[in-house]
Amino acid sequence: MSQPPGPPATPDALEARIGELRAAVRRAMAAGERDAARDLRAQLRDAERSWDDAVLGSPPRSPARPAGPPADRPAAARRGMLPVRERVHQALTLLGVPAAPKLIGSVYAAFLPGEIPGARLTSLRRDEERSFRTAPYARPYYMCAVLTADLLAPARGLLAISTWPLELRVAGPLSARADFLTAAVRLAEHAVRGGRPVAPDAQRLLWRFASNIPGATGDTVGTVDPAVLIEAARAELDVHRDADRELRERAARRARAQLDDAERLFGSPLRALRRAANGSATHGEDER
Amino acid sequence: MTETAPDLDRLRGGTPPRNHDARTIAALTANPGCARRGVMDAAGVDKDAVARYLGFGAPFGQSQFAITRGNAFEAQVKADGCAELLTLLRDRLGLAVPEVAYDDLEVVAGNEGREVRHARTRRLLGRALDSGEGTLFDHPLLRLEIAGQPAYLEPDVIAFQLEGRLHIIEIKSFAVVDGQAEPEQVAAAARQAAVYVLALRRLVGELGHDPARVSHDIFLVCPENFSNRPTATPLDVRPQLAVLERQLARLTRVDRILAALPGDLTFEEGDGLAESVRTVEARYAPDCMATCEMALFCRDEARACGATGALGRSVRDDLGGVDSVQTALALADGSLARRTTSPRRPPSSVPPPGSAPRP
Repeated sequence: MSQPPGPPATPDALEARIGELRAAVRRAMAAGERDAARDLRAQLRDAERSWDDAVLGSPPRSPARPAGPPADRPAAARRGMLPVRERVHQALTLLGVPAAPKLIGSVYAAFLPGEIPGARLTSLRRDEERSFRTAPYARPYYMCAVLTADLLAPARGLLAISTWPLELRVAGPLSARADFLTAAVRLAEHAVRGGRPVAPDAQRLLWRFASNIPGATGDTVGTVDPAVLIEAARAELDVHRDADRELRERAARRARAQLDDAERLFGSPLRALRRAANGSATHGEDER
Repeated sequence: MTETAPDLDRLRGGTPPRNHDARTIAALTANPGCARRGVMDAAGVDKDAVARYLGFGAPFGQSQFAITRGNAFEAQVKADGCAELLTLLRDRLGLAVPEVAYDDLEVVAGNEGREVRHARTRRLLGRALDSGEGTLFDHPLLRLEIAGQPAYLEPDVIAFQLEGRLHIIEIKSFAVVDGQAEPEQVAAAARQAAVYVLALRRLVGELGHDPARVSHDIFLVCPENFSNRPTATPLDVRPQLAVLERQLARLTRVDRILAALPGDLTFEEGDGLAESVRTVEARYAPDCMATCEMALFCRDEARACGATGALGRSVRDDLGGVDSVQTALALADGSLARRTTSPRRPPSSVPPPGSAPRP
């Protein structure tokens, strides 16, 4: 949704529009349509900024402005109109491996338009789990947890996509490193796709990977040759791949045998211990 | 030592115990004669809450900024499967490329219970010692016997296995500029690390291995110069270990202190709290201000009764058995000395400890 095109509006027209938008935001909130309300608020802020410009006389920014690079577009567009879960999905698809919210945020900021507000990520997994438990498989995919290989419990601070094979969604002791290297390869491949020069943001992100992979850095600090990075990451990945895959496959087999659908996505709590600690099964709703 | 556990639970008044960390243990060894601190720490009493209830809450604790900075740096070093840490260890210690295993022991399947975590720590470290499996163990929960009581330690460190030996890695956020760091900070870090080394050695011993497999060389990971880039410095903590072992052995055993206390004593919040706290003798010195949450309360008490310790540990030691300032002054101006000791004795001299006259 963008601003109405055309000549700069008069303050009166803008005031009318601001009034309308405020009412619309209120209606949307009352109806519980949070996404719609957020969009409307973004428009409202734009209208208010135009009013500021028109009345207080700051440099004319809105008229005749082409839809330029992301940084020039209004805040609403820069933040992206996609819901957070869609954005996380995009970033994770790009990475191809489970990742921590911080990395997801940097990947999105470096390669995709806009950014992911960090605060929204903290509750995402919980929201997804609640949604899945109330209506299983109602959505095409869920942002789910990564299961630890030994206890099949949710690993701390990692997000994955429910449509990935279970082998990818369990993590053994070597998986963190293996996933880091896989992510480096995938991001470097993405960066050179299309033959464009690597953008500064992406360059910075790739440097973070390259500086921690032996043999991946070139001569100058801060610049990365994606081809070198890919080669170095693959070389180290070859060392860990087999051991990691074996652990993951074994854990995935166990998860398939022991866990139900929801637990396979969001992990199982330590039931036996908890029951022992409480003396009796007071956590009935968690039990199968 | 297990028979005192119910007494300690009662002291705490039904609230869950607080974990020791290296900071509290290092502080404990700094003032081994303080029965109040010994009992409250052994019972895991929330001293901060008690002090606040009594109206002596510390107006400021550890700086929030320092804590945030420390956490951010630690998160950075450990991000992406300890990527930066692995790079450091490979560069400085020649860690082999296949050694990248990382086990998080901070939470066990969403369960933060101390017994569960300690059991897992034991299991994984035992496996590592037996078969060499595993490289980095984040946040192991260790146990150390303090004054006859087993205390859980919440180490903010990574145990790291290299060629069958375990090392402690401590991540600190003070900068190492040009190879130099602030000596005070390094000393504090070394003291804390020594506690972890000792606890880890006990654990390794319990698992039936040679305690010497835990190295006395620890690795301090700090930001380098004025950047955010981490650097690792090896630090020999043998001196700190020796001091710590001696101090821990000297600590008055808690069960002996408990035996002398009334049977219904509790530190539960309520009207009698101040009275209960006063029942246990404290040994206040100004250094307590830096390490103990109860310090303001003890200082108030020490000043009210004119204890010599309030003037500093050296003053208290110099005055030997004279335990109040009034007595010392009376002795100094001669009013007390003339009555009880020989008049020919110079009034400013201090009687030897033990023979100090009482007012």
